[in-house]
Amino acid sequence: MEMGFPLLRRSASVQRRDGQLVIEHLSSEVTLEGPAAKLLDKLLPHLDGQTSVGALAEKLDERPERVLKLARQLSAAGVMAFRTDDDGSRMSGAQFYELHKERCRHWLRPIYDHPLWTKIVEGTATRSQVIGFAFEKYHYIEGAYEHMAIGAANATAEMMPHLARHFIEEYNHGDIYRKGLQSLFPDDVILAAQPLPSTRALVNFLSESAARNSFAYYAGNELLQLTENTGEDQAGQAVNIFYAGMKQHYPWTERLINSFLAHTHADQKLGHDDVFQQMCASVPPLTGKEVRDALEVTRSMAEHLRLFLDGIDVFYRRFPGIPRMPSTLRSE
Amino acid sequence: MLIQKEYGLRRVYETTPAENGAKALRLSDQVVELGPREFDLYDRLTAWLPTQEPQDVFCERIGLDAGKLASLARKLSEARLLYRLDELPASITGLELHQEFSRILPSWLAEAFSHPFWERMISGQGSKRMFSGWLIELYHYTRNANRHMPLSCAHTREKPLKLLRAKHYAEEWNHYHYFTKALKALGYPDETVTSSVPLPMTLALSNFMRQAAREDILAYSICSAVLEGTTTDRQTFNPYYEKCAEHYGLPREAIRPIYAHLELDVQYQHSDLFHEILEKVPTLTGARAGRVLEYGHQLAEHIWLWTDEIEKYYGDEANPVPRRPFDPQLD
Repeated sequence: MEMGFPLLRRSASVQRRDGQLVIEHLSSEVTLEGPAAKLLDKLLPHLDGQTSVGALAEKLDERPERVLKLARQLSAAGVMAFRTDDDGSRMSGAQFYELHKERCRHWLRPIYDHPLWTKIVEGTATRSQVIGFAFEKYHYIEGAYEHMAIGAANATAEMMPHLARHFIEEYNHGDIYRKGLQSLFPDDVILAAQPLPSTRALVNFLSESAARNSFAYYAGNELLQLTENTGEDQAGQAVNIFYAGMKQHYPWTERLINSFLAHTHADQKLGHDDVFQQMCASVPPLTGKEVRDALEVTRSMAEHLRLFLDGIDVFYRRFPGIPRMPSTLRSE
Repeated sequence: MLIQKEYGLRRVYETTPAENGAKALRLSDQVVELGPREFDLYDRLTAWLPTQEPQDVFCERIGLDAGKLASLARKLSEARLLYRLDELPASITGLELHQEFSRILPSWLAEAFSHPFWERMISGQGSKRMFSGWLIELYHYTRNANRHMPLSCAHTREKPLKLLRAKHYAEEWNHYHYFTKALKALGYPDETVTSSVPLPMTLALSNFMRQAAREDILAYSICSAVLEGTTTDRQTFNPYYEKCAEHYGLPREAIRPIYAHLELDVQYQHSDLFHEILEKVPTLTGARAGRVLEYGHQLAEHIWLWTDEIEKYYGDEANPVPRRPFDPQLD
C-alpha cells in the first residue's frame, strides 16, 4: 500500500508550544493538538517525500488511513505535499497565476518590512539616503529602456503584444522622476549620475531574464508591479503615511514626492493591474520546468528588490557622496 | 565666474579625525588635512557643487562673498581636493591610462575590502559557516566567468584585443574546480554545490561584467584587472586564509586548492593583461577613458556590496547553506 509520498515543505517551520505543534509556512499557520499533534510528531522525521504513507504507517505501527487522513489535511492547508515525479503534466496559465500570487505575497514580506521605510518616515535617514532613494528609483525606472526593450525584442509570439505595449507605455516614466530631481540638481548632473551596484543588479537581472525567457521575465516583473500603489485603500494609506513622514522630516523633498505621486498616477492610468493575468491566460500550458524557472526568477526578483533597498540603506550610509558623479581622468 | 561650471570633485576615499578637530582626507595620491573651519567650508562646497542652488544664494547662506568663494575653490584645487574642468585631457594614450590605473588601483582595492566582514573573519568573530558561504559564492563567481569572458571576445572588434581576451578565457574557464575541491573538504559534495543558487550580488557581479563586455572591451578589461589585482599580493591573501583556518578549524585540504588557484593566476601573470591590452590602444578620448575608470571603480563598489550580502546571508543561522533552487513541491 503506497498512497503517495508525503513531504513537509522545506520552507515550513515546526514549533512546539504547550503540547501543540505549530507549523508556519508562507503566510499561513496550522496548529495541531492532542492525538493529531502526537501523530505528526512521530511522522516528522520521515516526511521527506522518500517514504510512502503505507511504509510510514508500518514503521510507526499506525493505521494507514489515519496517517493518510492527516497528510491530506496538512496538504490541503498547504504545509505538506505529496512528492510526484515529473510525469510531463502541465499547469495552465490560470493555475500558475494563482500560485505565483500566493508566493509573491510571501516573498514581498522582507520588502515591506525593510528598515529603510521606517528610517525615512521617522526622520532618522540621512540626507544621502533620502536623496539616494529618489536617485535610485529614477535609475530603476529609467532601466525600462534596457529590460523592457530587451523583453520586447526577445519576446515569444504569445508574449510580444504584451511586452511591446508595456515598453511603449512606460519608456518615458523615468522622466517623471527626473523632473522631481531637477528641483535639486541640474539636468546634466542627473543624466550623468551613476546608479548603485545594487540598482544596477536589479536592472541587469531584469534585462538578463528578459533576454532569456519572456514568461519568466514577466513573472518576475509582476512581483515589482505588485509593489506599486494601485489606489487600493489599505496599501494607499500606507503609502500616504510614508510620504507624509518624508515631507515632515525632509521638507525639501516636496517636489520629489510630487514626482513619485505623478508616477503612481501615470501607472494607475495605464491599468496594468491585470496584464499578467491576461498573459497567463494567453500562454500555452506550462511544463514543470517552465513553472520552476518562472518562480525561481520571481523569487530572485524579490531578493534583488530587497538588495535594491539594502543598497540605499547601507551604501549611502557608508559612502554618502550624492549624486554619484562618474569618474573622469582627474577625479580619481 | 560660476564655480559650479569650473570645478569637479576629486574622490575622497576616507575621511578620518586628525588632531585638534582637524580632518584627514585620503585621496588616491595623498592625504590632505583640513582644520575644522576649512573642513566645514569644504563640506558645504562639495555638497553644493552639483546642485541647482544659484551661486549667490549659496554665498549668502554660508556667509562668503563671490570673491572669497572663488578663492576657497582655488585653494581646494591647489590642495587637489577639486580639479579644474578645463584641465581634463581631450585624449590619452593607452599606456597613460594604464599608469593612471596603477596609481589608483590600491585605493579602489582598499575601498572594496574596507567592509568589516574581513576584520571580523580574521579576528575570529566570524564562523566556519561564513567562510564556507563566502567560498560557495566565490565558486559561483568563478564559474560564472563562462558567462562573461567569452562574451567579451564576441563584442570586441579589434583582433589583437580579442586574441588576448580569448587566451585569458582559455586559461581561466575551468578554475571553479579549485573551489569545488575546497568545498568538498569542508563537507559540501560537488552535486550540492553545482546545483546551488548564488546570492543576488554574486549574480550581479557577473551580470555587471556582461554589461561591461557588451559596452566596451576596455571597460571590461579594467574590471577584470581590478579582480586580478585582488590576487597578486600573497602578503594580503595568505594571512586571511591562515587566520580563518586557525580560528574555524578548517582542514588544510580546504585551503590548499585556493592557494593553488592563486599561484596559477600569478604564474599566468594575469595581472599584466590590462597592460598588454592598453599597449595596443594608441589613443582614446578623455571621455572614454573616464568611462573606463568609472567601470573599474564600480567593480570595487560591487565587491564591497557583495561582501555585505555574504555577511548578512551566511551570518544568519536560519538560512540554508548552500542556497537551494526553488522547488514548487518542496517550498
